[in-house]
Amino acid sequence: MLTAAAKFRIRVNGRIHDVYAAPRTPLLYILRNDLKLNGPKFGCGLGECGACAVLIGNRSVRSCTIALSAVRDRAVTTLEGLGNSDAPHPVQAAFIANNAAQCGYCLNGMIIATVALLASHPHPTETEIRNALRYHLCRCGTHIEILAAVRSAAAWSAEAGQAGDGAVDDRATSHDPHEAAS
Amino acid sequence: MTDRHDRPSSDYLNAPDTLVVVRPAASGPDDLFVAISSTGLVTAFNGHVDLGTGIRTALAQIVAEDLDVAFDHVRMVLGSTAATPDQGATIASETIQIAARPLRFAAATARHYLVGLAAQRLGLTPDDVTVQDGIVRPKAVSNRSVSYADLIAGPTIRLELDLGAPLKPASHYRIVGQAQPRVDIPAKATGAWTYVHDVRVPGMLHGRVVRPPYAGFDTGAHVGTSFIAVDEASVANIPGLVAVVVIGDFVGVVAAREENAILAMRQLRVTWQPAPDIPDLNAPEAALRANPSTARQLTNQGDVDRGLAGAAEAMNRTYVWPYQMHGSIGPSCAVADWHESGLTVWSGTQNPFPMRADLAKLLDMPEERIVVARLEAAGCYGRNCADDVTADAALLSRAVRRPVRVQLTREQEHLWEPKGAAQVIDVRGGLDLEGGPAAYDFETRYPSNLAPTLPLILTGKVPPVADVLQMGDRTAIPPYAYGNLRVTVHDMPPIARASWFRGVSAMPNSFAHESFIDELATAAAVDPIEYRLRYLRDSRAVDLVRAVAERAQWLPHTKPQTLGGEGDILYGRGFAYAVYVHGTFPGTAAAWAAWVADVAVNKVTGDVALTRVVCGQDTGQIINPDGVTHQIHGNIIQSTSRVLKEQVSFSSTAVSSQEWGAYPILTFPDVPDIDVLLMPRPDEPPLGAGESASVPSAAAIANAIFDATGIRFRELPLTPERIRAALNPLPPPAPPATAAQSGWRHWFPFAALAGLGALIVTAMPFRPSIAPIERPRANVFSAETIERGRLAAAIGACNVCHVGHDGVAFAGGRALDTPFGAVYATNITPDPAAGIGAWSYPAFARAMREGVSRDGHHLYPAHPYTSFAKSSETDIQALYAFLMAQPASPSRAPETTLRFPFNMRPLMAGWNALFLSSASALADISRSPEWRRGAELVEGLGHCSACHSDRNALGAERKGGAHLTGGVADGWHAPSLSTSRFAPVGWTAEAFYDYLRTGRSAEHGAAAGPMARVIESMNALPDADIRAMATYLASLNESAPSVSEASAAAARAIAAGVAASRPADLAMPVAARLFTGACASCHAETMTLTSLALTTSLHADRPDNVILAILQGVDAPTSSQAAIHATAASDVPVSAGMPSFRNTLDDQSLADLAIYLRARFAPDKAPWTGVNEAIARSRAASP
Repeated sequence: MLTAAAKFRIRVNGRIHDVYAAPRTPLLYILRNDLKLNGPKFGCGLGECGACAVLIGNRSVRSCTIALSAVRDRAVTTLEGLGNSDAPHPVQAAFIANNAAQCGYCLNGMIIATVALLASHPHPTETEIRNALRYHLCRCGTHIEILAAVRSAAAWSAEAGQAGDGAVDDRATSHDPHEAAS
Repeated sequence: MTDRHDRPSSDYLNAPDTLVVVRPAASGPDDLFVAISSTGLVTAFNGHVDLGTGIRTALAQIVAEDLDVAFDHVRMVLGSTAATPDQGATIASETIQIAARPLRFAAATARHYLVGLAAQRLGLTPDDVTVQDGIVRPKAVSNRSVSYADLIAGPTIRLELDLGAPLKPASHYRIVGQAQPRVDIPAKATGAWTYVHDVRVPGMLHGRVVRPPYAGFDTGAHVGTSFIAVDEASVANIPGLVAVVVIGDFVGVVAAREENAILAMRQLRVTWQPAPDIPDLNAPEAALRANPSTARQLTNQGDVDRGLAGAAEAMNRTYVWPYQMHGSIGPSCAVADWHESGLTVWSGTQNPFPMRADLAKLLDMPEERIVVARLEAAGCYGRNCADDVTADAALLSRAVRRPVRVQLTREQEHLWEPKGAAQVIDVRGGLDLEGGPAAYDFETRYPSNLAPTLPLILTGKVPPVADVLQMGDRTAIPPYAYGNLRVTVHDMPPIARASWFRGVSAMPNSFAHESFIDELATAAAVDPIEYRLRYLRDSRAVDLVRAVAERAQWLPHTKPQTLGGEGDILYGRGFAYAVYVHGTFPGTAAAWAAWVADVAVNKVTGDVALTRVVCGQDTGQIINPDGVTHQIHGNIIQSTSRVLKEQVSFSSTAVSSQEWGAYPILTFPDVPDIDVLLMPRPDEPPLGAGESASVPSAAAIANAIFDATGIRFRELPLTPERIRAALNPLPPPAPPATAAQSGWRHWFPFAALAGLGALIVTAMPFRPSIAPIERPRANVFSAETIERGRLAAAIGACNVCHVGHDGVAFAGGRALDTPFGAVYATNITPDPAAGIGAWSYPAFARAMREGVSRDGHHLYPAHPYTSFAKSSETDIQALYAFLMAQPASPSRAPETTLRFPFNMRPLMAGWNALFLSSASALADISRSPEWRRGAELVEGLGHCSACHSDRNALGAERKGGAHLTGGVADGWHAPSLSTSRFAPVGWTAEAFYDYLRTGRSAEHGAAAGPMARVIESMNALPDADIRAMATYLASLNESAPSVSEASAAAARAIAAGVAASRPADLAMPVAARLFTGACASCHAETMTLTSLALTTSLHADRPDNVILAILQGVDAPTSSQAAIHATAASDVPVSAGMPSFRNTLDDQSLADLAIYLRARFAPDKAPWTGVNEAIARSRAASP
């Protein structure tokens, strides 16, 4: 059944956005089209492949399965919100250092899942790493490099001695009332 | 490098302060290869594209090396019709081997010129200077230098490409041959890269296509001619819909917002001719043998027939390769901007120039007016739908005169991508008396072609006639020196839409070559590697095979099963080798590759684990060792996936694998250890590395399985059931009974009406009208009353049924299906004409309690007035006030017209006489106030019984023992509230509270179907009311468990499910894989969702709720903030919804999945019967 569009206020990458859309619109389309974020990718729309993963709080979720109306005031973090190429998040840096991409389309989900893994398991075993990524699909066969990147990221966060160092700081918020979507 | 627009070559060709290296074109502007600016920045151009293999980096290394500039001063422009030379399609791993050649010479041409000029400035000869990072210095010690940048000033310096320009010797390389981090990954890892999916242009709309039913087939008279009609009214309610476009069998929709384009695509009713039947391609051998073909003999040496006749024992073998998918992770996407003067497309095409020619043909537009800007897309390994979607976007943009972005769905990409073709190979041979190969008679069948761009065929621009291409010959000549050798290719048209896929026909051909020679070695009692080396004449091949054997510490053996095993596991090790020969026969060799594969085979389950691969490759000169290593890793993992897991499924008319559950690929837990050995060949020409390592995969793994088990497997994929069938045949699973059963409910029959007719005499069939009034002004009601009414409406969930089509609250129009026909919910906004604005309170109260409309006609009991009769006067008054204070909607709900005799509304009077009672049994003063409040809410306004009680033949709720013991709503089974009849865990008051407050309970799972909307409605209620309802409902459950009993029961149910998973997986391997691929990302036991083992639906006696959930998906109830705060956890996870699989799973898959879920998660329950009937019912109930 169709539901009329309504205004929703969401918090993404530390900024508040007002968007106007039908409540059941998958968050993925809001992030990509209204917020013009390219990190989360459309891969299946069925929650199967993980290309659209984002962090909500410190959990990795598939944004194609999250209704806009379900987000409420939870903090959403996309790949862009983790860091940029000048100041990448440690997990992003580990993926870059390990050349952990071929086409790179699945990379978003791999990085997001790794950040979530390290937030809950700062010292993951090999099995924990593989299980954390098992429902993230890669077709290029970059698994070896991705596993190496996750191990590097885990080692770095262990060295830093801060459990959950990879966690996302979502406290900072700024409100831009001009962000309202078309 | 991530620009949406690459600047056209004309920007460089005549630019001042620029040096360009060009090749004059026969017509039009020069082909541009290298441009160097006066700042020393180098832009280099190549007509090929980066498919995720890293050629952007490798090509830049080549340019930097031969130009002698720093690597980071080089920027590559790839595959743009406006900027780069036309170097054909990016195929066959030939970018580095072939397409990079002119680029390398262009760099050398520029270097030669610049060094000469610099030497002149320095007063020296070119031999007396040296250059590094673009700075030329005397070889003698000196502080003088000239940079390239110093030399580029003034008018354009135009150099013609010199294919004789001196190249640097490999011994002088500083950049080529060194590991170079990929230039694109930092941007890709931070979301800063622009893929074609990320292109946004001003004014862009969103398009979706609707494809015809002959999914995955592009030849035959029905192709392009199956469209019958489109019902545009079916999408009239889509907000922002711009157009429905139909051209032949091409159908598309365009909308302003993407989610609305998706909705329009799903909702649009298109009528098609039924698709014709296809041959069975699930077991492709027969279909391929029957496909018309032309034999083409590639070689015939010695005397094959005589050799075969002289063989000690004939070894006639057949190898079968299945249809497979490229399986890009990102479904194809493109943006097109059509305008009168031309067309620009942003495309992920692998072939920008052929793409432009296709668009010219499709749109009757000269090629010069079309720009194909190529952006990276998801990896494609051959062909995906990138070209198709580019043409789709162009057609839709032309239709609406606006830029349009088209994103294919996962299902469309799966269904329509040109498949990697099935292949059948026959080998006849045997051993001669000395144990050598007596003869080798090889025949191969490969039904594939170029797969013309789909919209050309759908629109009739290109006839749907299958071209025959001679592509089955790749690596058809075996690498071994067989004296009597005959090789024949049966050239044939495609059956399913097919085109090249990594390794093309070479991978199946090598599967046959390398399996057969392994078999010869065993028959001859010779070590398999030693046997190969006897017949391998190519010295680089010999070097490679020896090096790989040594690296893997190969132990020579002459028979299988020398590695033993442990428990159920058998170990084995296999070898295979190939040099990938591609291109028109006799073809060009790319890199050599050899595998040693280690497997562990579970002899009980048939599972094969590839544990380790040692792969050696001779790539000639290596540009970027990291890049080559990654390509080899990728080839090993992808080809292992193809060998062990992958096969496209077909229905009787079309491709049926539409998502990753039906077409599983290798995932992280199954990734083997990989050891790559790169042969050092710096002085040899570079060779294609993109595919070679895939080619030996199948034979290496099959040979390893033979080594482990002593059984040869000659048909792929090597699924557990295929292995098990040979090793350890199990009795076939008992076929699920599908005997039809009657409906859930035993509605009517007509005979019951006789009694009803008699009653009419005594009841009051006609009730008086109550006079209309002026709509009461909102200010006559106190804010307090309106607020109480708001809560009454929330507990009554009025808007769940009375919601308007466009979401307007209380505007009515929703159809409620009853066995007697559809009853339409009315408009209950205060609009005087369409709604209840003219209703006085007595009229409203009568409708609420007695089911009689203001004008005196009887309402159907879909309106649960039998429950409302039990609610308090105060609440009804407050509800009236609240509704009168709502905005009026003029929308008129459709008239309810039931079939005879139910269309006789006066009959309802008799019905009411039978079933309506306002007697309240709720005032049990021995109970607590909380209980009484709960009873009032549940039995009164909450009208839980309207769905949760069974109804009798006349549609009335059954009373007494049947009250709240389960009923039906919108096709969903509304479970019993008074007994935990099916639930594996009894309901506690706590569980009721969690469920009603948040839409989920840890021990029961989430609300689905109509109940999810009811929960949302109840968000407005104060916590005390929810607690009261939970208390009352728990009191109905005489055997309600304690909290600890409930958790123990939950643990037992979960443990039973876990224990049942292995037998269920063994009995239903296809469904098990479907579950893993399509469901487990959320429903695996390790996830936060409640285990499916606790879900009542899976324990119920009918599969309807499970099937409805899969078909319709589950919209997670949106919890209110109050609800979130009311739960114990401080960090409540966001509720994910379950996507609808209605258009993704066919009936067979649905049935398999439902039966599997029952066996796995409710193992103590009998298998469901009537699954197919339930699917039919559920599809009918799922709009």
